[in-house]
Amino acid sequence: MDQTSTLEKVLRRVAISLVILFFMFPIFWIVLMSFQTNETILRVPPSVIFEPTLSNYVALVTGKLETQAGTLEINFMSNLWNSLFLSAGSVAVGLILGIPAAYAFGRIKFRGSEDIAFTLLSFRFAPPLLVLLPLTIYFQKIGLADTYFGLIWVYQLIVLPLILWIVRGYFEDIPADIEYAYRIAGHSWFSTFRTVALPLAMPGIAAAGLLAFIFAWNNFIFALVLASADKQPVTVGALAFVTASGIQYGQVAAGIVLSILPTLALALYAQRYLVEGLSLGAVKG
Amino acid sequence: MSIQLSNIRKSFANDLVLDGVSLDIPTGETLVLFGPSGAGKTVLLRLIAGVVDPDEGRIIVNGVDMDGVVPEDRGIGMAFQNFALFPHMDAHANIASPLTARRETRSGIETRVREVAKLLKIDHVLGHTPAELSNGQKQRTALGRALAAEPSILLLDDPLRNVDAKLRFEMRLELPRLLKAQNATVIFVTQDYKEAMALGDRIAVMGDHGIVQIGTPEEIYLCPSSTRIARLFGDPTINLLDVVPEIGVQGPVVQLSATDVAISGSYAGAVGKACSLGIRPEAIRFVAPGAPGAFPVEIEAETPLNEKTVTLAATRNHREILVSRPAGTPGPDHGKAHVAIDMGNALLFDRATGARIIAADAPTDEMAT
Amino acid sequence: MNGAVLRLENVDKFYGAVGQGVHAVRNVSMDVGQGDIIALLGSSGCGKTSTLRMIAGFEETSRGKIHLSGREVQTLPPVRRHVAMAFEGYSLYPTVNVRDNIAFALKAQRLPRAEVDAKVTEVTKMLEIDDILERMPNSLSGGQQQRASLARALIRDADLYLLDEPMGQLEPQLRTLLRGRLKHFIKERGMTAILVTHDQTEANALADEIAVMEDGVLQQFASPAELKERPANLFTGTFVGEPPMNVFPVSVESKAERLVLRFEGGQCLNYPESAFAAEVRAALIANGRVVIGVRPYAVRRSEAGAPANVLTNQWLGDQSHISASFANSTIVLVEHDRARVAIGDRIMIELSPTDLHVFDPESGMAISHGRELT
Repeated sequence: MDQTSTLEKVLRRVAISLVILFFMFPIFWIVLMSFQTNETILRVPPSVIFEPTLSNYVALVTGKLETQAGTLEINFMSNLWNSLFLSAGSVAVGLILGIPAAYAFGRIKFRGSEDIAFTLLSFRFAPPLLVLLPLTIYFQKIGLADTYFGLIWVYQLIVLPLILWIVRGYFEDIPADIEYAYRIAGHSWFSTFRTVALPLAMPGIAAAGLLAFIFAWNNFIFALVLASADKQPVTVGALAFVTASGIQYGQVAAGIVLSILPTLALALYAQRYLVEGLSLGAVKG
Repeated sequence: MSIQLSNIRKSFANDLVLDGVSLDIPTGETLVLFGPSGAGKTVLLRLIAGVVDPDEGRIIVNGVDMDGVVPEDRGIGMAFQNFALFPHMDAHANIASPLTARRETRSGIETRVREVAKLLKIDHVLGHTPAELSNGQKQRTALGRALAAEPSILLLDDPLRNVDAKLRFEMRLELPRLLKAQNATVIFVTQDYKEAMALGDRIAVMGDHGIVQIGTPEEIYLCPSSTRIARLFGDPTINLLDVVPEIGVQGPVVQLSATDVAISGSYAGAVGKACSLGIRPEAIRFVAPGAPGAFPVEIEAETPLNEKTVTLAATRNHREILVSRPAGTPGPDHGKAHVAIDMGNALLFDRATGARIIAADAPTDEMAT
Repeated sequence: MNGAVLRLENVDKFYGAVGQGVHAVRNVSMDVGQGDIIALLGSSGCGKTSTLRMIAGFEETSRGKIHLSGREVQTLPPVRRHVAMAFEGYSLYPTVNVRDNIAFALKAQRLPRAEVDAKVTEVTKMLEIDDILERMPNSLSGGQQQRASLARALIRDADLYLLDEPMGQLEPQLRTLLRGRLKHFIKERGMTAILVTHDQTEANALADEIAVMEDGVLQQFASPAELKERPANLFTGTFVGEPPMNVFPVSVESKAERLVLRFEGGQCLNYPESAFAAEVRAALIANGRVVIGVRPYAVRRSEAGAPANVLTNQWLGDQSHISASFANSTIVLVEHDRARVAIGDRIMIELSPTDLHVFDPESGMAISHGRELT
């Protein structure tokens, strides 16, 4: 029963390879495209043999887009920076607000706690466009339109419910007895939160933070409406590649590769925190 | 420190757990809370620890009302059934946690942790995290954490439940010494009657949302107030035989296997009532036919039990009785045998209510020891 | 097959590749006779459950042979082995009531309704679940589910009954009674049964013979009385028996027709040489240093003995457990009446030569047992 036949092993590996190929192919193709000119990309039939060029990356970094219609100014690098700042900023704010809230919702049963938690989650259900129009008007009135602060605030609609609900689950999974034990040992509730609950929920916090970062990074519509050119993230900035003389596939691909990198780096870094099992052995059973 | 509970009520979302529990524990006593799971033992402990608040009633420790006093200020040591060790700290840090809270000096903490660890024989694993400890070591670490700050009140929530039989036995023998050395008032929760009898100065039997009987191990074992409590103490379980006492030649008798067996004359008031006769398995002996009080039984099976041999036998009316004798003593051959009951410790219960019928001349409080 | 219903021949179990993976069961051989109740006893991970599952056919036999009622079955699927099994995890069919769960196999055989009902009544009365027959499994307590699962196995007609921890969840007040009834039920019908348990009380109560396992190795296969009186090694000696056997390293001195056992800490027990059987005496003197074991109920208090200080005295209603400091260690005594000693009292302890178990301090193997005198 535990000894699998050789045929089964081979088949299993083939199946896994197919799945990997299916998911990784688009990314692989995009990486290839980013090293090609528009001409080699668009030739028929497509081929993986080409003269690699760094021109796409150069164009993005220098901010000069060469098209048949002439040279266009693009500020992709500042878009990238905006994305980084907005995403990191919103996740930071989201964690500062969300972790204590998640702890409260997870540990303290107060009147209406479930309703409030659910209301917060329901922000995720509303179509962004529905809230955007009133939001734009308000923001213009109170001078928050086209500010980083305003954008980070609006981004909380995306990151806060996510962090709240994921982290809450992790707090709830910590046996209450462990915290009781620390309290009875003579520590205040805040000290218990800091030295027991926080470290034990760390895998959840890391997962929630990473996920929130990705969602914030990928956001398009809020930034499109609320941010002007100098505050736009890459998602909106990529529109600039659709030029009068056609779509610059090479630069688009290079842009995608550059914009995947920060999230990828973060995911790799956060991976060790995502490994669970920290709480194994604390409680019998 | 003494603990007084008065009229404690507690329910969780319409689920009544404790209904008016009052309890008085003098300084230095070890009180065992005993009862089946769900009887509210753990809840009672948590109320005293302050991590759960009562709906009604007062908890008074050494004359001070604990209402509004947070757990960290109650000066309590507690060990949990599931150990509840801090998984991200090693055994040393776990045991030291009550000491760090009191801002003791580093060397003072070090000395005390070593001392407790040595007492509990875990000084060689202080650097291990809970995940690296065996079950027995976890249990000792949890106990060490409870003892570290030398609390004057110790709450032990079934601390031996999750360790294997051998370790449980060892700890049962070891605990009284550890506890005496602490000089603390101890509340010990358990579901094991042997632990309860071995460790308790008094035992509070819980059931029906409260305490159904409280007394010394002798009182509970020899004079249980109902059939239910009688069945909870003793292994094998007490035999309960349906009888209706009659008037015999020399006082009240009950019929067992069509034989009249005399019961104490002081049960005369129970004559004609539907009763259950409670006889501990060790109070039944195999005897030669014709011995006084002997009645015939049929042997069904012999099952050794630790240092005893337990025999399942059927009376002539097909009632099953359990007979227990020390291992190694000669027993009956398979098939038919005669037994006699030592009626001195037999108990009579009202069959309808389960309550014990108190013999007219029985000593009420002071049990003969 | 000389009467054995089940015969294991050099059975091995590897999880992973044979010879490389985790060696869970190591070269186990045993015979189980018709009508015997056998217990596989050991702590978790000792290989007892793997052994049972190989017999049932749920686990592949890595090496060796299993004979069942004269057939070699190690390659047969479970259904063709003609065994009935009660699972530890109850595993009742959740969609039908208790009665149908228990009668499932009989109905599949198209037995007449009346016969099925009679059998169900009989077995459920025995296990005290005749009042819950119409209930669904998920409304039952753990103990009730376990008894229903046991009933479902016992009601079948099989060559061999495999019971995996059959009474672990049972309410303690019912355990002793049901053990007696179960043993009577199995014996009366001449059924052959193997039960797996980690609870030596259960093994001792039910089994004719107990197979003690540890680290995948069959340590000893013997009757409960034999295990108690002639444990093969220190492991079975200290594993079987509750409270566990007292164990002390001693040195043996022989002078002037007397044999002296000197304990760590200086206490001595002094016996006339004639108190020991010739071969026990010879073994003791030849070894010089040995480990002696003595069961708690065999430790006697007597003025002639060696001093010990009482640490605890716990009365459990029908026996007293006393522990006392002795020989730099602790000795445990069990007495069947209420012992009148207090903490701190000095008691004198005597160990009768007939109650001594002597082990080799290096290998842990038994050298001799006092009972060999008789």
